Order: sequence, then C-alpha cells, then structure tokens
Amino acid sequence: MKPMIRIVFTALLVLTMVAVAACSSNNSSSPSTSPSTGASEQPSGGKTDGEKVKLRIMTITTDENRNNIMEQFIKPNIAKEFPNLEVEFEPGGGGEDMANKMKTYNASGDMPDIFWNDAGFFTSLNQAGNIMDLTSYITEDGFLNKYKVPEALKHFDGKIYSLSSGADTYFTPVIFYHKDLFEQAGVQVPQTFDELIEASKKLKDEGIVPVVTPGKDGWGLKLFMLQQMVQTGDPEAMMKLVNNETDFNDPSVIAGVERIERLAKEGVFADGIANIDYGPAMEMFTSKKSAMLWMFTWELPNLAKIDSVDFFPFPSSSDKYDPNKVAQFWGSPLNGYAVSAKTEHPDEAVKVAEFLAMQDALYFESVGSAIALETGNTAANLSPLMEKFLNWYNAADVKIASFALNSVDARMSAELSTQGARLLTGEYPSAEFLKVINQEWEENTWFGN
Amino acid sequence: MNKFFSTKMSIAVFATPALLLFTVFCVYPLLPQLWMSLHNHNGFQNLGFVGFDNYWSVMKSSSFWVSHRNTYLIVAISVLIGLPLSMVFALFIDVQTPRLRRFFKSAAMFPAILSVIVVSQIWVAFYEPNWGLFNTILRSIGLDGLTRSWLTNEKTVMISIGLTFLWQYIGLNAILLYTGIKTIPKNYYEAALIDGANAFQVSTRITIPLLQDVMKYVLILSSLGSMAFYAHVRVMTAGGPGDLSRTVIYQMYYTAFDTSQFGKGTAIAVIFILQCLVISFLIQRFVAREKVEF
Repeated sequence: MKPMIRIVFTALLVLTMVAVAACSSNNSSSPSTSPSTGASEQPSGGKTDGEKVKLRIMTITTDENRNNIMEQFIKPNIAKEFPNLEVEFEPGGGGEDMANKMKTYNASGDMPDIFWNDAGFFTSLNQAGNIMDLTSYITEDGFLNKYKVPEALKHFDGKIYSLSSGADTYFTPVIFYHKDLFEQAGVQVPQTFDELIEASKKLKDEGIVPVVTPGKDGWGLKLFMLQQMVQTGDPEAMMKLVNNETDFNDPSVIAGVERIERLAKEGVFADGIANIDYGPAMEMFTSKKSAMLWMFTWELPNLAKIDSVDFFPFPSSSDKYDPNKVAQFWGSPLNGYAVSAKTEHPDEAVKVAEFLAMQDALYFESVGSAIALETGNTAANLSPLMEKFLNWYNAADVKIASFALNSVDARMSAELSTQGARLLTGEYPSAEFLKVINQEWEENTWFGN
Repeated sequence: MNKFFSTKMSIAVFATPALLLFTVFCVYPLLPQLWMSLHNHNGFQNLGFVGFDNYWSVMKSSSFWVSHRNTYLIVAISVLIGLPLSMVFALFIDVQTPRLRRFFKSAAMFPAILSVIVVSQIWVAFYEPNWGLFNTILRSIGLDGLTRSWLTNEKTVMISIGLTFLWQYIGLNAILLYTGIKTIPKNYYEAALIDGANAFQVSTRITIPLLQDVMKYVLILSSLGSMAFYAHVRVMTAGGPGDLSRTVIYQMYYTAFDTSQFGKGTAIAVIFILQCLVISFLIQRFVAREKVEF
C-alpha cells in the first residue's frame, strides 16, 4: 500500500502546484522601465510583424461632454488614425472614484498605458515612477508647437506630464440661473453675498429650490465653493492660500468657511445637498427644479441651449472683491491625457495621448468653447452666452489658480472632500471644519514635492 | 483499501491540497499586510519601521470609532431584526399553498440577485429629500414634520442604509431557513398535530429547535457578511456626510487608498480581522453546540 500512497500523494501535490501556477498572474514579459530618452530610441515593445499593438486607455467619464467626446470623436476616429492598434477603453468615472481607481492601479503596478491624469492623484503616480515625462516626445514630433501657450503645460518641476485641449484654462465656476424663475420670484441678479441669501429666500418662498451643486463627497465644496467664498471676500488671501503663504487661521479664510456654513444654515442649497451627485444636480437645474446651479463653465455650451439660462459671477462679500476683475481658473498642467512610464509601447502610447487631446479640442471647438490647442479649423460661431462669458473672463485681471488642483496632496484632498460634505449639511460648525483642515494643512506634503 | 482510508496518512493526502490552497490564498496574503501595518507605507514606498504607531494612531482617530459604531449597528440590525424577520418569513412560506410558495420564494430571492449598485440607487431615490418616495408619502398624509434628508442627517443615515441592506438580504436568509425547515421529518409535525399543537407551538417547539444548525450558518453568514459591509455605503453616501456613515471596511479603504496611508489602512485591517475571528469563535463556541440528529 505504501507505494500507492506515495504515488497518490505526489500526484495530488503536482495537481495543486499546477492549480496554483494557473491562478497566478503571468508577469513573464515585464514592462520596460521609465523612458527618459527621445521617442526614436524607444523600442516598439514586444510587437511582431502583423500583430496589433494592444493599449489600455482609462478615460474620464464624468459628464455629458466627456461621453460626447468618446462617442462622437474618439471611438469613430481612433481606428482610422491607428489601424495597427487594438485599444481597450476603460471608463474611469471621475473625482474620487477615478482617483481611487488610479491609486489602486498605481499601488498594484497594473497601470493603463494611457490615462486621464489629475492633480489629485498625480503625486502618488509620480513618486512611484508611474507617469511619463512627455517633453522630449512632443517636442520632437512638434505637437508642443500646436499649443498657443506651451509653457502652460509645464508642471512646476519643468516637466510635461499631461496633454489637454487647453479648454481647462477657460473653465471657471460661475452661477448659472434661470431668468424666468428669477422673474417669477421677483428676484434680481444678486450683487452681494447678502443679496444672494435674500434672493434664495424669495425663491424658496415660491417653492423653487434656490441653489443646487454637486455636494456628494464634497465635490463642489472642494473644487470651487471654498475658494469662491474666500476670494469673494479677499482675493489676496485666497492667492496666498493657493501659494502656501497663509493657512486656515487667516481671518479671511475663516470668514470664507463661515459663509459656507451660513449658506447651508439659511437653506440656500437643495435639501440633502451633501449627498447630491453631479448627474442629479445637473438634472435638477435643467428640469427647472432649481433656480441656480453652481458649476464650472465646461457645462456652458450645453446649458446655452436652454433659452432661459444665463450666468453671473459669484457675488461680492466685501469691497476687496470685484466680480468683474477676479476669476478662479481650473487649469492645472497636470490635468489631461498622460502615459504610463511603464508602458511597453511608449511611442504608440504618446501618439494616442496626442490624438485624444486633439479629439477633446475638436469637440470643445465644435460646441463653441475656447481652447488653447490649435486644431487647424477656422473658429466656429460662438453662442451669445459663450461670447458673454469670454468677454467677462478675458477682462478679469486677476486669475487665481484652483486651490484643489494646485495646493493639496492626496490626503488633504480626501479630507477636504470628507469635511466639505459635512459642512454642507449645516449641522457641522465651521470651527470644527477649520480645526481639522488646518491640521491637515500643516501636514500637507504638496509643496514639499 | 478500507484500511487506507482510515489511516492518518490518507487524511493528510486528502487534506494537503486544500490546506495548501488555503495557506497560499488566505494565510500567506495576511503576512505582508501584518508587515505593512508596522511600517509607514504609502502603497508603493516603505518609509520606515514605526512599530505599533499605526495602531495607536488609528485607534486615536474618531473616524475609527465612528466606523466601528456603524459596523456593529449594521450587524445588530442584520442579526437582531433581520434574522427573526427571516425566520417569520420562512415559516410563512412553509404554510402557503404550493403555488403561493413558489411566488414567495421567487419574490424573496429577487432583491438578493439584484446588483448592490441597482438596489442602492433605487433606495437613494426613495430617500431623496425633495421628491423621494418616503418624503412624498409623509407629505401626502400631512406628516411634513417627519420629512428629512434621510441620507445626510446624522441620526438617520446609518439606519437608512441598514434598512436597504436588510431589504436586500432578508429574503435570502428566509430561503435558507425555509430549506432547513423542509429537511425536518414530517412525522414530527404529524405527531404534534395528533397531540393537538397549534401552528405557533409547532414552530416554537419543533421547527425552530430543529433548525439550529441552519440558524447557526445563517447567523455566521449575516454577522460576518454585515461586518464586511461596504458597497451599499459606497454607492449611497460615499461614507458621508463627512465620515458619519463609514464602516470599518470603508474606513480601511479610505485610509489606505484615499489618503495613501497604507500602513494605517492595514493596521485597521489587522484589528478588524481579529474582531472577525473573535466573533466567529464566539458563535462557534456558544451557538448550537449540540448536534441535532433526526
């Protein structure tokens, strides 16, 4: 019997080993290391003649614009542009969802070849050596020359990590409103913070939700509300905060946070604002359940199609702020299509990133947005609302970079989301918010990188 | 051959593959986590050994305890409310006609086979404060004072999410218990009927006592399943507002991935694993210890 036991035991062990081996990932073809040389020196990576190069792309899919770009521009054109590529698209979502996905890929080393980069998770990717410096590639092939302001693509370390349409530079938060709903409630466009609250009360008395904005996960608060409430009182203080020259003990910053608490307590926002996502917020406004929408101007081309929609800048909270002279700009050189430093096909991946940025530009151009990437097309007719916006925006002398994109690391960004959503409930004192955020600000590593 | 199957060697031969797989896929992955929890780690870089600092740090965080309160609230809802209701539902199914039984069995399973995302989104719409189902009903019957923003109110957010979880899995547990009921021999019931027992007495004296093995299984499934509660929270509130609806698993994920503090995240994971082991041990040790044979 003993020989039989040995045979059975050995056979079972072999089977187990085979099963374990089959379940493990195949890492036999390890990707190349971070390329630091020019495009022409890079191998095309593991491709044999006649075999298509496979690339994985994670795109941003936050809103209607992004879906339109994908369905109307990228998907119909990519096969024609790159017949030798086999592309797998992965919808990345946006905001914290996308950041979490990218951080997970970053930690596991399973990076997509091309992905939408964002300042919120860039630091982690850069520290892990997972994001490619595109400077040499796009300089050599001339793509850099297509930008009206090439310098705007550079991170503060002098490298270029992302390619965008340049529309970002023209994205700024404003207050969209329905003119007819304002008329119905007998409300004028507010010029001051107090007038905004009074207008909201009148709208509420008429059964109209005054303001909606995406509040879930602190989206609106983190990306613009905190900044707007501080800079409408004291633009200089906001600029100092963005540049790490002051902190959350600054009286002007404290006053800005207190304004948010007041807005929440006075019932300016839709009920449950802290749990309203991007889509439902847009739906509430476009279906006229809400009179005002606090949103970035990337939605302007879509909203301009609704006759009743107009916009105004955030009203003043003090005489230090002139709404016609100060604006926040979204642009971060880090936002755009980036390439994994560990892709097996760097040449192809960079070309695809350039293609994607160009498709973005073609789309934004087609809907009448301003862009910084030359498409070679003649300028389209702008809608009256877009013309009004460009006149206002171009006249603003003081443009302040977005705090959320240019001043905080991943941890501080996450905590701003957390604390921000809570502040919007109106049940959380601004003093508590400031205490927690100031602590995070002291430990913020952004400016150390 | 019979002698072969009764030897310790044969037991080892048959147990080894399973043990090996369990070790490779379940035990081994825990070791790097344990190591990481003792280091300042950001997910891709080890920034140095810190001993038990991560453990002290997470235990000093108020979010850690909020997440524990929320997790055990969900476990309590699941076990103390969900299980009795599932039992009642299982007994209810058992006394139906075959046609109605088929209907109730399908209806009970339906929420469980739906995706968590779908279920959560449906309930988010129910809870929506401006035009959601619950507030609309309350307004229509003149109870405007009871309307609220269910998912952003500190007092109602966790209960609201817990009810969604309960709704989704109460039927599944009922089906498991009903399956157990069907294994109880008919002659016990026949004897009880001859003795003049009513439906309540039959349930409490025969059905429930003889179901203890199944109930133990459902109890473990419910308690450990609800301890791993994450997806509903992610979809319905993203842990918010603030950290008010985070569970332990959510807090672990947030700490590791959102804030890139993998050392602290894995410290939470290790603490949580220990809790799961203790609960599992307590259930094994004190619930349904004597084997029921019919």
